[in-house]
Amino acid sequence: MTENVFAFTTMNMTSSASDSGDDMDDSKGEDEMKPLSIVTDLSPSSPNGPLKMPKSPSKVSSKKRIRAPPGSAKPEERRVLHTHGRRTLYTAGRPPWYNMEGQLTNAFVIGICGGSASGKTTVARKIIEALDVPWVSLVSMDSFYKVLSHEQHEKAIRNEYDFDHPDAFDFDLIVSTIARLKEGKNVNVPVYNFATHAREKAMKTIYGANVVIFEGIMAFVNAELLKLMDIKVFVDTDSDVRLARRLRRDIAERGRDPQGVLKQYMKFVKPSFEHYIEPSMRSADIIVPRGGENDVAINLIVLHVHNQLQARGFKLRSKLAQSTHNGQPMPESLHILEKTPQVNGMHSFIRDRGTSRDEFIFYSKRLMRLLFEFAISMLPFKDVVVELPQSMTYNGKRIAVEKIAGVSILRAGETMEQALCEVCKDVSIGKILIQTNLDTGEPELHYTRLPRDIKDHYIFLLDATVATGAAAMMAIRVLLDHDVPEEKIFLCSLLMAESGVHTVAYAFPKVKIVTTAVDKEMNEDFHILPGLGNFGDRYFGTDFND
Amino acid sequence: MPEHHEEDRQKTVCLQTMEPDVIHSNKTSEDCKPLFKENELNELEEYNFGPNFIKLRPTDGVRELQTVIRDKNTPRTDFIFYADRLIRLIVEEGLNKLPYRKCSVTTPTGQVYNGLRYEKGNCGVSIVRSGEAMEQGLRDCCRSLRIGKILIQSDEDTHDAKVVYANLPKDINQRKVLLMYPIMCTGNTVAKAVKILQQNNVNESNIILLNLFCTPQAANQLVTEFPGMTILTSEVHPVAPSHFGQKYFGTD
Repeated sequence: MTENVFAFTTMNMTSSASDSGDDMDDSKGEDEMKPLSIVTDLSPSSPNGPLKMPKSPSKVSSKKRIRAPPGSAKPEERRVLHTHGRRTLYTAGRPPWYNMEGQLTNAFVIGICGGSASGKTTVARKIIEALDVPWVSLVSMDSFYKVLSHEQHEKAIRNEYDFDHPDAFDFDLIVSTIARLKEGKNVNVPVYNFATHAREKAMKTIYGANVVIFEGIMAFVNAELLKLMDIKVFVDTDSDVRLARRLRRDIAERGRDPQGVLKQYMKFVKPSFEHYIEPSMRSADIIVPRGGENDVAINLIVLHVHNQLQARGFKLRSKLAQSTHNGQPMPESLHILEKTPQVNGMHSFIRDRGTSRDEFIFYSKRLMRLLFEFAISMLPFKDVVVELPQSMTYNGKRIAVEKIAGVSILRAGETMEQALCEVCKDVSIGKILIQTNLDTGEPELHYTRLPRDIKDHYIFLLDATVATGAAAMMAIRVLLDHDVPEEKIFLCSLLMAESGVHTVAYAFPKVKIVTTAVDKEMNEDFHILPGLGNFGDRYFGTDFND
Repeated sequence: MPEHHEEDRQKTVCLQTMEPDVIHSNKTSEDCKPLFKENELNELEEYNFGPNFIKLRPTDGVRELQTVIRDKNTPRTDFIFYADRLIRLIVEEGLNKLPYRKCSVTTPTGQVYNGLRYEKGNCGVSIVRSGEAMEQGLRDCCRSLRIGKILIQSDEDTHDAKVVYANLPKDINQRKVLLMYPIMCTGNTVAKAVKILQQNNVNESNIILLNLFCTPQAANQLVTEFPGMTILTSEVHPVAPSHFGQKYFGTD
């Protein structure tokens, strides 16, 4: 019975090319929503993707039209979007999505509308593929069906609830979600359960992206939603073709009888298309006849989006390195650990290129512990009165912060986690992987995994060394996008370059910068001078030069 | 008048049944009371015990460590966690008093960094038992440091401190000595330990005492008796958390 409902929702649920993996354990599988054309093209032994590909094409296509029970899909299958070119889109790093001041630039929102089974998803996928930009979010309207009352639920089971009516969608939530995505922030998209017609308890997190594609049958019905879209595409596929697709899909893959499918089509799907969907074509900027087969139209769209994106692009790291903060006084947000003989001695060990790895690890850990004791004393404290065993009271201090999280910037930041745990009981640890793209020299975001309620935490952002500040800036931006207030972020490192200090302090003046030393210069490879070399390589022993 | 008397007695009975511990210990600590007013424990005047008496900078973080250690309601796991943190800070500060020399190192980028090297020739001495709680903290900073031990017990009748056991590095007279004892009430135990070191030809000025909590009396006694010794503590306060050893080792 419940399958009848799916006939109306046809193709797709929420799918995201840029799901950051924040939230891998709740949503349903996305691989099931992939259009056949893409899925069948998959090779099980994909070359580039570091994440696992679905095991076999046949397995994926058989799962494709069946709503899998929650949690059945493997997380790694859901985090990636595979394309014709056998590329894995999500796993490509995200280049900066903010400017030198650390401020956000709006994402480009593409709206795709069209009748049921018109090929909206195929068009979306083709656009994503041809765009060739990492970090694209694909959001489907199907996630935003309203939660049904008991009576409505019964009706839906009897096949008498109209899912093809604008009232079936929660437009307030759609507008706020798309608005947030446009700001580059992450959103929690509800996971709609088509069996119970309610939302799953756990939401699916979609991370902010450079391009957001929103598709659905009623995508152009709401005026507010239309305002958020930078380009509006209507997929106009002949109604005969659409009906034929529906028939084939429902009969072949869901084992339903042709009479029932036709009855539904005539009762809800067709009237809805004529009343709401077809008239909304007026709002479209581009109408794509024949859907996904229309390569000319798709190329035109892609060309336009490319131009728009290029107009917003920027080279961040090189700009940061060139920016002259020379002679400016150090910002107030910078806090340097006092250079005692011990601290200076530890620095001598860490900086000496002749230091053995054993000693390098030992002294850097000692230094980190002092760094975190120093950083902790900058958190807010409150006065307390405690009872002594001597039956008196004592006016002391306790930390006035409930939750503290460490967020390490991989790889070097991870080395600091242990020292943080040694001074901070029950600290949660998040991780962010940022790597430098060797072609562009730009930092790219590859992976984030943060505590669920990260916005309620004070954050110690960990990176062993900060040179240009580009990676630190990106990590801070990620935290801000997760609604962490700027003043709750502490950037903790062992060594910084002056320009990095200025860059971070200029972009995020409220972020506290805590370090054990600041060096004056940086070479053309963005290494700190005199510095200490590549901290991660020396700590993990991955420098094979010696 | 009799009525009033009756009321007072009722009150006492009530208190005793509810909080017998409080009543009891109030009686025993009565002699301490004239020293300070309750609730003004932290507003004591700044003591000055000379240049060789050093107090850890009382940051909010340090104040929290002291508060948790003193709080009688702190669970033991927390107590050890916070005590170890404070010990580590005292040890790191104490190490700053050890000798070093300037040196230049070459960094992996080929540049020169002007830093310093620690000199050899130091050792630690812990006073059993609570001093041993600080050994690990010192060991975590100096992996192969020699550590001696002194066991001192006070005679139950005369309250005189007596040395029961001492095992020190042979060449201790040529070393800087980090003497470890976390809580000082009277200073007698430490005074005895310093005398043992002196008997082993250790120069007073080569001793650095690592201490967490110290009473003004103890501080006064030690700076008077051993003016050349360096004393490092985190807090000078009339009430010392004397339950430290018992709680740290779990023997209450």
